[in-house]
Amino acid sequence: MNALVPPGLAAASAAVLAAVLAGGDARAQAPSYSLEVRPILAEKCFACHGPDADSRKKDLRLDVPGHDRDDELLRRITSDDPEQRMPPPHTGKTLSTAQVEVLRRWIAAGKPYERHWSFVRPQRPALPDTGEALDNPIDRFVRAKLAEHGLTPSPEADRVTLARRLYLDLLGLPPTPEQADRFVQDTAPDAYARLVDELLASPHYGERQARRWLDLARYADTNGYEKDRPRSIWPYRDWVVNALDADMPYDAFVVRQLAGDMLPDATDDDRIATGFHRNTMLNEEGGIDPLEFRFHAMTDRVATTGAVFLGLTLGCAQCHTHKFDPITHRDYYGLMAYLDDADEPDFAVPDAAAEQRERECRRQAQQRLDSLWRQWPATAGARDERFAAWRDDNRRKVVDWQPARVQAASSEQLTLEVLGDARDTVRASGDTTKHDVYTLHLAPSPGPITALRLEALPDPTLPSGGPGLTYYEGRHGDFFLSELRVCSGDSEAVAIARATESYADNQYGSQPARAAEAIDGDLQTGWSTHGRNGERHVAVFAFAAPIAAGAALALELHFGRHFASSLGRFRLSVTDAAGGADALALPFDDDGGQEQLLRREENELDEAQRALLRRAFVLQTDGLGDEPAEIRRLWRRDEHASTLVLRERPAGRGRVTRRHHRGEFLQPREEVEPHLPAALDATVAPRDRLELARWLVSPDNPLAGRVLVNRHWAMFFGRGLVSTPGDFGAQGAPPSHPALLDWLAVEFMTSGQSLKQLHRLIVTSRTYRQSSRVRPQDLARDPDNVWLARAPRLRLDGEVLRDAALVAAGKLCERRGGPPVRPPQPAGVTEVAIGKPKWSADDGDARFRRSLYTFQKRTAPFAFYATFDAPSGESCVVQRQVSDTPLQALALLNDPMLVELYEAFGGELATRAERHGVDATLTHAFRRVCTRTPDGDELAALRDFLHRQRERSDAATAWSALARALTCLDEATTRP
Amino acid sequence: MSHARRPHLSRRRFLADCGVGIGRIGALSLLAQSAIGGSPRPQGPHFAPRAKAVIHLFMGGAPSQLELFDNKPTLTRFEGKPLPASILGDQRYAFIRPDAAVLGPQFAFARHGQCGAELGAPLRHLAQVADELCIVRSMHTDQFNHAPAQLLLNSGFAQPGRPSMGSWAVYGLGAESKELPAFVVMSTGNGLSAGSALWSSGFLPPAHTGVRLRNGKDPILDLSTPERFAGAMQDDTFALLAQLDGRRAEALGDPAIAARIRSFEMAARLQTSAPELLDLAGEGQATLNLYGCDPGEPSFARACLLARRLVERGVRFVDVFHEGWDAHSDVKGNVSEKCEQTDRACAALVLDLKRRGMLDDTLVVWGGEFGRTPMVETNPSLGRSLGRDHHPQAFTTWMAGGGARRGHSHGATDDFGFHVVEDPVHVHDLQATILHLLGFDHERLTFRHAGRDYRLTDLSGRVVRQLLA
Repeated sequence: MNALVPPGLAAASAAVLAAVLAGGDARAQAPSYSLEVRPILAEKCFACHGPDADSRKKDLRLDVPGHDRDDELLRRITSDDPEQRMPPPHTGKTLSTAQVEVLRRWIAAGKPYERHWSFVRPQRPALPDTGEALDNPIDRFVRAKLAEHGLTPSPEADRVTLARRLYLDLLGLPPTPEQADRFVQDTAPDAYARLVDELLASPHYGERQARRWLDLARYADTNGYEKDRPRSIWPYRDWVVNALDADMPYDAFVVRQLAGDMLPDATDDDRIATGFHRNTMLNEEGGIDPLEFRFHAMTDRVATTGAVFLGLTLGCAQCHTHKFDPITHRDYYGLMAYLDDADEPDFAVPDAAAEQRERECRRQAQQRLDSLWRQWPATAGARDERFAAWRDDNRRKVVDWQPARVQAASSEQLTLEVLGDARDTVRASGDTTKHDVYTLHLAPSPGPITALRLEALPDPTLPSGGPGLTYYEGRHGDFFLSELRVCSGDSEAVAIARATESYADNQYGSQPARAAEAIDGDLQTGWSTHGRNGERHVAVFAFAAPIAAGAALALELHFGRHFASSLGRFRLSVTDAAGGADALALPFDDDGGQEQLLRREENELDEAQRALLRRAFVLQTDGLGDEPAEIRRLWRRDEHASTLVLRERPAGRGRVTRRHHRGEFLQPREEVEPHLPAALDATVAPRDRLELARWLVSPDNPLAGRVLVNRHWAMFFGRGLVSTPGDFGAQGAPPSHPALLDWLAVEFMTSGQSLKQLHRLIVTSRTYRQSSRVRPQDLARDPDNVWLARAPRLRLDGEVLRDAALVAAGKLCERRGGPPVRPPQPAGVTEVAIGKPKWSADDGDARFRRSLYTFQKRTAPFAFYATFDAPSGESCVVQRQVSDTPLQALALLNDPMLVELYEAFGGELATRAERHGVDATLTHAFRRVCTRTPDGDELAALRDFLHRQRERSDAATAWSALARALTCLDEATTRP
Repeated sequence: MSHARRPHLSRRRFLADCGVGIGRIGALSLLAQSAIGGSPRPQGPHFAPRAKAVIHLFMGGAPSQLELFDNKPTLTRFEGKPLPASILGDQRYAFIRPDAAVLGPQFAFARHGQCGAELGAPLRHLAQVADELCIVRSMHTDQFNHAPAQLLLNSGFAQPGRPSMGSWAVYGLGAESKELPAFVVMSTGNGLSAGSALWSSGFLPPAHTGVRLRNGKDPILDLSTPERFAGAMQDDTFALLAQLDGRRAEALGDPAIAARIRSFEMAARLQTSAPELLDLAGEGQATLNLYGCDPGEPSFARACLLARRLVERGVRFVDVFHEGWDAHSDVKGNVSEKCEQTDRACAALVLDLKRRGMLDDTLVVWGGEFGRTPMVETNPSLGRSLGRDHHPQAFTTWMAGGGARRGHSHGATDDFGFHVVEDPVHVHDLQATILHLLGFDHERLTFRHAGRDYRLTDLSGRVVRQLLA
């Protein structure tokens, strides 16, 4: 820390500040506990003498009042004896003389304690009187601090700089020369305010601001971990953009993302918004324990909730009570309990156009079947014979099935719900594992039983329409029935003579996966209907001997392979047909209702019924090549955009949240009820996820406003008023401008929680509008620009760099939203990930869309953004780091994505130069990249460069080289 | 004051302190240096290091220790029978059921060197340098899936987001080379389970991220100048940038501009030094033969040779990833194939370093993320037979040079190779030992982030003294 006065000393809440100013000699006074004493104790003492009982030494706590042996404390911190001295030398922690002095004064004053500043609800501080006419309260607070430190504000930046700064900050795009000129030439007094309003209303505003939010939300387009397969959650990304563009109040913005599904009358958009906590990673590696990785996702949700809405490092309390902040180990799981009761389905975004397209596909499928029937390859007679044989064969399989009444259904983790429909459909929901066992008890049968039928049923709420629950590793919607066991009465196993199925396919290898594999006693083999999701499939198990009437059957169904693959929806029926029965399912017959048609003669069918049977026949006959498969695809085509959402479980079916010893999945301990950490001093006790969300953005949360305004302040000034935006706890930095922070927080929370209004307030301040020229005296006195005697120069984010290059080259495609796209990037970037996936760049204008829409692969992020410090989406990033490396220089010079733009830009410039002359074109090119007009020397240097290149190459190449050099300028990569 | 609170400090941290050509910029950057005050300098070792550099040969997918290092004749006797329940406990598995039958070692073992190290037949080249090796047969981990286990071994934590071992080393040691990045990564096998998180700098300054030396024509991302702009045009471009950025730096007084100018200078140097590094023409046929390296073909052998060249040029940490050891089926075929690709080069690297006098201060570490089960993996519905599943309880790693004990075999497993029964070495212990050899107390090489001091070894780890020379 190089500031003349460390922020720790200078920072003060309004009340403390007043006390300090009113008092006389600071040395005689008790030091401020919050601002002077606690930072020392937190750094040097709390690890052993703080909140965490497990690591506490000698049962001594220094974080709360109570210890009364003050002489001992003083003696130990001043002792020369290494055996006696605190902190012990082996910890590597030592107290400086000044720190000992602070503690001595504190002890002498009777050790007054205060609550940690950020846990005390902010009050609106009075505006400092700086003796200047300053309309914007921000300037009053900042000027007061500057005066305190003997610094003076910088003059206002020139108008071109202001235009560039505003465009880049609010839209993430540089202004075109024309846009900049319009502002520069607008001499009306309100020109700046109008530009701000114009930019806040721009459709590009939400796209820029969303990127920041998506860093927090750890958004990406793949699942992460080993397989890192694509996922569809872009509707959530678009929701964020739209909400920010619409200036949705922050509280509504947050409540929808945390608990939109629980709102009364939740809309589709409200559900889409819950994708926030579905951005956790999903491990699809073969053989994982899905519940273990669900636990990791839950810990990520707690840590992210803490960082984003509380500014607290809750992750520390996953394994033990927080060593520095008053967050207990139980508190951590208390927060997890709020988030723990949701299921995590896919959500098909309702869309009338998609439904229309699906209907059209089905119509086409029917048409193709009908036309295949009409254009049968052989003669009509041969066709009719084949049809009759098909019908007769299937007719034999039609028997009378009686619904089996399910009296009890259970599984270890899953909920098996017997739906109240006529045929006792069973639906499974909840947490599925690698080996689920369903136990079903059937009501005594009124008649004898010769066979049992299991119908695996499609359901739109299951992954890929079911019938299975597989959601990772295997094909979504698959199931794998590894074993079926039937008992009659209490224990007697019933022998099964044969098993048949309507369809079977194995995802792996050439081994069969028929119903017969489900009765072979081998748990590694089983029945699977891989490849035909969203359809009804049937297996029939014929008993070796009829079971007498009145017997109560008990069934045990085993599901699973190296991934969870249980059945999501099914029903059972029985028959007394002599000799048992065989499986039958007509294609596209979702509830089996069409089978009875097979019993009728041709003349007993109407035309529609006849068509149904003919289509089923055509689909099931051989010799039609790929046609049937194509038709199936057409029939099942899902045109809906899909996204990941939360869905709260019904009351009484929530999960039991437990404390996990050492934070380990395999060490669950006692149950923990949802509760807020006591240290937050909430005046209400939220009961569920929705109430938690509402509390997090209410004034009752002392951190809500502070954390939010601080993060947004950092977007405009490069550093927060609290320079640790993810840690407002004891280990975090104290605020540099505590009164300003509180004023902004209260103002934000009480005036509609409008982010656009907050941005307007900040960018219209004189503080923001200052020049960013670094005056030597400021660099010496305040190198980190804590006191804001100038505006900061900020290196642009990787995404903004690319977008700016697109604008400069005139190639930006402004289309909004939709599935992610793939701009070009160097070969070999994604091949490092498992499966060595190739990156094929999109054609057409998709490669020129804003960087927000670039496909984000977690294990191999888009190279250009990663080089410029963009996050991978693997965890919540509150503030990006900013680096400056030679790899960035190489990327700016040579990345194929940019080179393509340099060439487009250069081609245009070459043509332009023929019309407008070299100098005008050089100036224009410079302005397209850097906004301002080059001065004479700069222009001369550019002219010289161009001429030299022109001697070596054609005009287009020379101008492209110029575009390339301009884009590499420090100025081009910087917000001025 | 931590770096996390002052992100821009990292602006100066890629290739450490390198000379600056232009006079006035030099002056400005001196100003910048003094302004930074707290110094971008590395932490510096806590005590005299034994190793100056590390070459980590990471065998992704997890090689079978039971075929290569841990000879268990008992498995042959029990072949076809399940493991005794007393051994098994309640371990979870990825693919097999715990009652799967035992599978005997697929290769013969023999003793090698004066130390008598016992090695499986596929390691016939490594056997030649047995007396240089420090073989740890008692490794164990907490993770039984690839991505988390690879992350644990390479970053000390099973979830992504932590700094990798190489990043910690560079954070501690700083760079020695002014021409090349301090932490270089190569991958010559299949795609990696945990992807780029394996060499991420996590929350350390981004400049500590490993730089990939790629297999394609551009060994470093975006290294080559497009032909259209190459040659004199590129020189002019660098000159123009230096001129205009220099003027701007003077006008605005922002030290960050000086840093950016330096980055471009270093980029220019990389454009020369990287091709020089990759040009194996001067290596001599004997050396190429020793490694089994075709200079024109990317391979594990070429990566090992490049690793030596990198270390020669002052690079601190080299990761060579070779994924593909995940033998769920046909463990015999897998081990044969992978050893064919790697065994000669591993031995050559040790030998070559020794001949050049570099082995004493270069630590070579070889190993995977976990071991493989004594039980067979057979699964007809997956088309698998005679494989081995993931086994976190026991696996083998070896080290050579850099202060590791020569000709030493450490630790032992039970008769089934299931549990470690003697001198267990946890992944964090291995990491603590590696850091120790680099001159660091693993408990003191820390970084403040998200409210606490983080370190490579998370909350555990101890230096295994018996592994030190």
